[in-house]
Amino acid sequence: MAKVVECPECGCEIEVADDVLQGEILECPDCAVELEVVSVEPLAVELAPEEEEDWGE
Amino acid sequence: MSGQQETIVVKVGGSEGINYELVCQDVAELVRAGTRLVLVHGGSAETNRVAEALGYPPQFITSTEGFQSRRTDRATLEIFEMVYCGKMNKMLVERLQALGVNAIGLSGLDGRLLEGPRKKAIRAVVGGKVVLIRDDLSGRVERVNVRLLELLLGAGYTPVICPPAISYESEAINTDGDRAAAAIAVALGAGALVLLSNVPGLLRAFPDESTLIRSISADAVEAYMSYAQGRMKVKLLGAAEAVRAGVPRVILADGRAEQPVCRALAGEGTVIA
Repeated sequence: MAKVVECPECGCEIEVADDVLQGEILECPDCAVELEVVSVEPLAVELAPEEEEDWGE
Repeated sequence: MSGQQETIVVKVGGSEGINYELVCQDVAELVRAGTRLVLVHGGSAETNRVAEALGYPPQFITSTEGFQSRRTDRATLEIFEMVYCGKMNKMLVERLQALGVNAIGLSGLDGRLLEGPRKKAIRAVVGGKVVLIRDDLSGRVERVNVRLLELLLGAGYTPVICPPAISYESEAINTDGDRAAAAIAVALGAGALVLLSNVPGLLRAFPDESTLIRSISADAVEAYMSYAQGRMKVKLLGAAEAVRAGVPRVILADGRAEQPVCRALAGEGTVIA
């Protein structure tokens, strides 16, 4: 059974795959906001930070 | 700056095949001729070997835009420091000293030589999913301690510099060596930045070395990104950044060849201007 989490932006219920990863970025299908999976068990999401690209060696 | 010798920044990569003896001989010739030279170096291949030997194999992550970078947790950073600040830096200093150059080895940490923000979160593609990584010790150089470099150059020393850099919160951070070299070249008002690696420059059809692209306008770098493989993408970005910030030319050149720096300065390689 797929897990479900509520979008903190619009309240829409989002279905999340069973193999969801810690830190995974999801997009709300309703309001298109980007969410970060901050906990897998229990499942919790927060608005994902905007990050520009920059990389180490 | 009339009467003052031109400043050149040379970055020698850490990939397999680079001939450090030839690089050092050429650097020594230029220093003897009065060039103010700063040598920046990498150490990626050796870091991978040492990490494997220590039972902590390297991991690489790919950004959402396709750039590859080392996953730098604390243990990786410590191995990185052993190789960059230890083995590679001292190997180059020793060779230059043997050639009569008064080289001094420094990492970006020392004297806050290379300073910038640590990335609090980076986006990487893992198994087809976009994931946010929050504990990576990597970042970007925003400030160069020019006073320290001028002090050393003015006193006749040849700085040999490597990552890591230092964050504003005083953490060691893995930073890209090509872009660090670009930041140093900009800060010193260098006349040229030479980026040496184990290919002759940007190749139109990698690995066919007969397809070398000889010159690129800094404004047109984006159009050439599709030819760049792996870390060459970051070299191109660093080169374009340096030229836009006032470095007259950047040359991507072959670090395996005789007189690699002089040949690059004579226009052999891919010249970005």
